[in-house]
Amino acid sequence: MSSEISTVSSHPDDQYGPLPSGWEARIDSGGRRYYVNHNNRTTQWNHPNAPARQSTQVVPQRPPQPTPSQVASRTLVDDVLESNNAGLSTSHNPASLASNTNGLPPGWEQRFTPTGRPYYVDHTSRTTTWIRPPGSAPDTGSTSGNQLGPLPAGWEMRLTSTGRVYFVDHNTKTTTWDDPRLPSSLDQNVPQYKRDFRRKLIYFRSQPAMRTQAGNCQIRVRRNHLFEDSYAEIMRQPPSELKKRLMIKFDGEDGLDYGGVSREFFFLLSHEMFNPFYCLFEYSAHDNYTLQINPASGVNPEHLNYFRFIGRVTGLAIFHRRFLDAYFIISFYKMVLKKKVTLSDLESVDAELYRGLKWMLENDITDVLDETFSTTEERFGEMFTIDLCPKGSEIPVTEENKADYVNAVVHYRIQKRVKEQFDAFMAGFNELAPQDLVMVFDERELELLIGGMSEIDVDDWNKFTDYRGYEVNDTVIQWFWKIVRSWPPEKKSRLLQFATGTSRIPVNGFKDLQGSDGPRRFTIEKSGDPSQLPKSHTCFNRIDLPPYTSMEMMEQKLTLAVEETMGFGQE
Amino acid sequence: MALKRINKELTDINRDPPVGFSAGPVGEDLFKWRATIMGPQDSPYKDGVFFLNIHFPTDYPFKPPKVNFVTKIFHPNINSDGSICLDILRDQWSPALTVTKVLLSISSLLTDPNPDDPLVPEIANMYKTDRAKYEELARQWTREYANLDRQQTNPVG
Repeated sequence: MSSEISTVSSHPDDQYGPLPSGWEARIDSGGRRYYVNHNNRTTQWNHPNAPARQSTQVVPQRPPQPTPSQVASRTLVDDVLESNNAGLSTSHNPASLASNTNGLPPGWEQRFTPTGRPYYVDHTSRTTTWIRPPGSAPDTGSTSGNQLGPLPAGWEMRLTSTGRVYFVDHNTKTTTWDDPRLPSSLDQNVPQYKRDFRRKLIYFRSQPAMRTQAGNCQIRVRRNHLFEDSYAEIMRQPPSELKKRLMIKFDGEDGLDYGGVSREFFFLLSHEMFNPFYCLFEYSAHDNYTLQINPASGVNPEHLNYFRFIGRVTGLAIFHRRFLDAYFIISFYKMVLKKKVTLSDLESVDAELYRGLKWMLENDITDVLDETFSTTEERFGEMFTIDLCPKGSEIPVTEENKADYVNAVVHYRIQKRVKEQFDAFMAGFNELAPQDLVMVFDERELELLIGGMSEIDVDDWNKFTDYRGYEVNDTVIQWFWKIVRSWPPEKKSRLLQFATGTSRIPVNGFKDLQGSDGPRRFTIEKSGDPSQLPKSHTCFNRIDLPPYTSMEMMEQKLTLAVEETMGFGQE
Repeated sequence: MALKRINKELTDINRDPPVGFSAGPVGEDLFKWRATIMGPQDSPYKDGVFFLNIHFPTDYPFKPPKVNFVTKIFHPNINSDGSICLDILRDQWSPALTVTKVLLSISSLLTDPNPDDPLVPEIANMYKTDRAKYEELARQWTREYANLDRQQTNPVG
């Protein structure tokens, strides 16, 4: 099984070798690989080492069309959200994510009627047709998602309380996990997890509230005033306007928005919005790239309007299937999903405070700690005491109530002190991404939905890994990498999230991975009993991997560990 | 809250002054202290007087105090910025520890350096391979920089 699947990550561009410094390979919402040049903040379709004849144009207004051979071998890579079965990939795709220009000749675009039937727009002649234009690559994306067409009569798609998609057959009054539109033989051997990102996305994208409205929404911005112009343009329109097809135009530049322009727009705008320079967001203590709301953002009296704007842009990107180049601390995603934030979430925000509070729970504090239900905060050099509950500074913390105190501190640090800002963000966000729909995802899936999925280079990951208690050539380590290589991209991202707290890879690869105390390479430590699940320490980018006695056992335990979302069971 | 605890530690130090070192606030700000450690008798730092800065975080004692040498010192676990490599000032900190306990640990670090977890690898290496040379240099630095008269005529910090 695994030998077949390992081809999933191969890509025709791999022949060009590793990326130059400052470059990153990413996958767009349609599953196409593109390249980000962080040195000058541009994107392009072609591998930077590819021969020039493939028109390595910087910031293409319209992506160059792939050659038929590239498309044919890309089907597997396209399949970013496919479940763990290579056989599935050739016949259907997570095509609700398929890009509009997928495999079509230049000037053509694929669109869908409200009922999900695909049609084709020839922008050159300004005509439309039901027939796929000659010369286009095989349509890899027409058989799944909302493009699978409507459910059979009497069927309904629903979600369990945990967000898993299931199907109700009202004719026979039965329910099933299997999509009745897919050939049943295909799904038989697919391991069904409680969680299925692909199905959740299909459900999410198929909901009426997430459908593009008829007409266009023009957004005109100046490149060198991107933040202010975008704010004015996006906030002046009602949300209903923003749900129309986006037509982004950079002032003074030609080029119609066939997807490339808006992709670049969201990429550049995310760098502006989240720039710590504006004091709206700041980098977390965990590393130098995951973001959190800056509690001191009030220095800008307009800050709440900006948070509302940023929330709107985030919702807008999700709505129009674009990604932001932004990664938040895990508790931020949990807050979006209205999940309870716990002490373990504090570890990535403030590791020292986390350790102190954990110590407090595990030890007798009598005559050691003399606290009240209050906390001290420094704002611009001045000390403030904040009551964690009414008259908190008069209530002593004791052995009996110390757990309440810890909860109150965690709640204050992560949520309460940025509540105004967060509420403003959510107000803007929900205008385009309704809360009940977003709730189908868990916090790690939400990170991928907002920030997209990077293509993980397992060779690079492997190369910059340290071992404690294991040697590189140990069988257990060999199994580990074999399993990781066999996993589809989303599951690799999930493992990375499990180990480091984010799916983001540093710009220059795993050698630059950061921990809470500076550079920290990914580390596998021999720890625990084979009956236990692997554990992770996201502060140190480390996983504790027990010495499992078979590869099957390891894969099963590792899968359980990465699939289980921390806090899921704690609510 | 931090201030209450810091006040309590200050009262304890004043009531029962520790042998070999002293500590207290620099000025009005109770979060900023200055400490002095006398070079231990059984070490090459003997007769030296070392000044340290102590900075309490607002979350003290949940978080460790930040402690730095102000006086230059030749030691495998203390670098030229005065940073100290000591586990209880990092991940082994516990709210049950106090400034007094921290200063005691630093004092014993002067007597027994830990060359296996060095902050200055060159000094650690010398400590392991040529103890006499290390002791000579440590004594020399102590005479030169940890001389009380000299530090008072050239106020530090």
